[in-house]
Amino acid sequence: MEPNQVKSFAQRYLDAYNCRVIEQTPDWVETELSIEADQDLVHRPFYWMYVEKMGLAPQTVTLTWFFDAKKAPTDRRAELLSFGSSRFNQMLQSAQKRGRFARLFEDRPSPVRSRSTSKPYEPWLGINYRVSYICDMKKDEILPFGIHLRTGDIQENFYPRIRSRNWTSVMPAHRHILPNLLSIPEAVGELEYNLQGYIEHQDLSWAKRAKERLDREMQQLHAYYPEEWRMSDELHDEKKQRIRETVWQYHPRIEVEVINAGLFYLDADHPVID
Amino acid sequence: MKTVPIRMDRRWLTQFQERLETDQGWSDPEGFELALEAAKAQQIPDFDSLRCQAFLQGFTPLPHQLETARRVLGEMHGRAILADEVGLGKTIEAGLILKEYLVRDLVKNALILVPSSLVLQWTRELNQKFQIPAVAQKKAWMWDKYDILVASIDTAKRDPHRAKVLERHYDMLIIDEAHKLKNRRTKNYRFVKEIRKKYALLLTATPVQNELNELYNLVNLLKPGQLGQQQVFSTQYVAGKRLAKNEEKLREEVHRVMIRNRRNDGNVHFTRRHVETVPIILSPSERRLYEGITHFVKDQYRKGGSIKSLLSLITLQREVCSSRDAAFPTLFKLLKKGVEGKEDLPPDVYRLVNLLRDVDKQSKVEEAVKLARATEGKMIIFTEYRATQDLLLRSLAEEEIPAVPYRGGFARNKKDWMMELFRTRAQVMVATEAGGEGINLQFCHHIINYDLPWNPMRVEQRIGRVHRLGQEKDVTIYNFATQDTIEEHILWLLHEKIDMFRSVIGDIETILAEMGDQADMEQSLMKIMLEAEGDRDLRRRLDHLGENFDQARQEARAKQQKRDVLLDGTQPS
Repeated sequence: MEPNQVKSFAQRYLDAYNCRVIEQTPDWVETELSIEADQDLVHRPFYWMYVEKMGLAPQTVTLTWFFDAKKAPTDRRAELLSFGSSRFNQMLQSAQKRGRFARLFEDRPSPVRSRSTSKPYEPWLGINYRVSYICDMKKDEILPFGIHLRTGDIQENFYPRIRSRNWTSVMPAHRHILPNLLSIPEAVGELEYNLQGYIEHQDLSWAKRAKERLDREMQQLHAYYPEEWRMSDELHDEKKQRIRETVWQYHPRIEVEVINAGLFYLDADHPVID
Repeated sequence: MKTVPIRMDRRWLTQFQERLETDQGWSDPEGFELALEAAKAQQIPDFDSLRCQAFLQGFTPLPHQLETARRVLGEMHGRAILADEVGLGKTIEAGLILKEYLVRDLVKNALILVPSSLVLQWTRELNQKFQIPAVAQKKAWMWDKYDILVASIDTAKRDPHRAKVLERHYDMLIIDEAHKLKNRRTKNYRFVKEIRKKYALLLTATPVQNELNELYNLVNLLKPGQLGQQQVFSTQYVAGKRLAKNEEKLREEVHRVMIRNRRNDGNVHFTRRHVETVPIILSPSERRLYEGITHFVKDQYRKGGSIKSLLSLITLQREVCSSRDAAFPTLFKLLKKGVEGKEDLPPDVYRLVNLLRDVDKQSKVEEAVKLARATEGKMIIFTEYRATQDLLLRSLAEEEIPAVPYRGGFARNKKDWMMELFRTRAQVMVATEAGGEGINLQFCHHIINYDLPWNPMRVEQRIGRVHRLGQEKDVTIYNFATQDTIEEHILWLLHEKIDMFRSVIGDIETILAEMGDQADMEQSLMKIMLEAEGDRDLRRRLDHLGENFDQARQEARAKQQKRDVLLDGTQPS
């Protein structure tokens, strides 16, 4: 992330989590953190324990951040907020922790004539998956899938397609939700099944090569250590440990995590288009 | 490969359903969007790029360091010996590799074992250069408490620490000065072998010292069997002591697990050093004081004073070359001793005190100030004496040249502060200490050796603070030499005879080790100064010492070349 991306992310974060911006220039921003941001960005668990125990009104921290190493404010203490800094890392973690689950209604002005009747919402479950391909190396892929909770229709790239619509957290008037025909666990099962299919069609040569490396290392170990009956207990343990370490280091595997998931109620007249 | 095991994390689902039931704790659309963007920022899109570069702030690794990191990750799969020559940045390479694995979430905990004198330095380097939250291990409870620990290997191998270390699984183990692990029968070796580790880095500038076996043991710490069984190894590769029978084959095997960058590989660029001798002519009163002290020393020597007091007299002689102020405390001590011992002050000491009082001009200080004024850019002045340091700072202040002090006794953050001031505001730093950790003065290109240490190692340390990897400009070194004093002789030895200043002289430690009983140069020089009869004799003896140094240097070089040939298969350059 470039400094200007860091800056815009930070500003959006401050805004989203109700931090008070005290002063701001193009180069730096001074802000009084909200309680939630303070707890996530400033490591002081004892303070929060104390405040809670004593029933005090919490005093949150005020920080000044600048984003370009060459443009520090001269008249106040400030810290560089950059992609590598631990504070920004905490901000990324905090954003992921607090933005995990959503339930959102599409807010679309309806034509005047339909005001009298209630309009239906189509229920979708959208999940942003992170798929990690791991051996002695690792890469990630982010897969935003969505499933229609009535038809079971699965859409790849779901969230990016609907993200720019207008959303509201409260169901608008003259609206109703069409009932789910799939339970949430069923829908998740479907998505996972689909995801598995996707993964199996990926290029898995990396895993093949990792397995070959693992096999080669194993051969080397078996060749190096004497036959079982000739080994002392100590040597036996050493070999066992070394085998475990080798598996730990190389064995190819895939881990799937959920970045965030949401229920999205889409206007029935506004379908997800490919 | 048909299938790869897939683990689906479903822990989130209960939390999601809780929200559904209570209809609470939902994020708003912007929060949801920010979470995904944060995840994207941390996503690792491919197996083999170096992502960690984006995380570094305030420093740029050199090409050979990045290349080394790339190879350790891509070709050696995280188990390697980093065997760069001294000064090429093995610590940086190890930091890059650790950072990359941390960024990729392949390492969550790591143990860094180093000699105890380097624990803090490593910790600081990882914290500052790489933002890696490494902690220096001090207490036994810390083993379970922190994910990334830097510890002394000698502490770690002893109980109760040992048991704690062996209980854990470390995603990464880094060992500095790994050549100390060449003997597989030692406690250290067995300890390191027993530690459970996924990735491992062994750092050493001297992977082989005498025997090829050492390499075998080192490689076996990383990958038992890489060089075959012990027996096979001996018959195949070790014919005689250091002669590799099947060299090419061995080198190939070794280079599968070892990376060694060398100074003259061309990928590492050092700028040039310019050396200038600045002759200082003493004023008549200064000259009288110097002569007075010299006579006094010779006198005492003839009278057969104790060696200890004679050595302190030589010190006095050196001090007076530095400044009147530097000589004063020593002279004062002599004076006090005189008063306590006898009724009357010895007349010769009294005379010296008077001579000292008469000194009205400090030629050397004036020259230093003049040079500082004439020089554009930053300048560091090294002196051996606190009193001279104060004097220099006062004199620079009088001329309104902004200067800061630096000495060994400063607390860590004061040192940092002085460095920062020097970088941002001051023009001159006056330092009594060159060694020690973390002094990095690449923004400075001028050094004054106001007076000279008699230990070549310390001379090299001084220069090394400024003329090091990453210095982009040529460096000018001014050596002050007071005419017709012992200082001139010392400079002659270090400059003309040993050629200390012009080039990176090599590993002084190994050269001195070759010198045997003359290894303590300071002692040897003291002895020469005391025993020499007249200037000609002095020169002759210094010449002899210089020859010995040269010889030792050649021997050290020859040995190094043999090792290089063994390791790299290259011809000596």
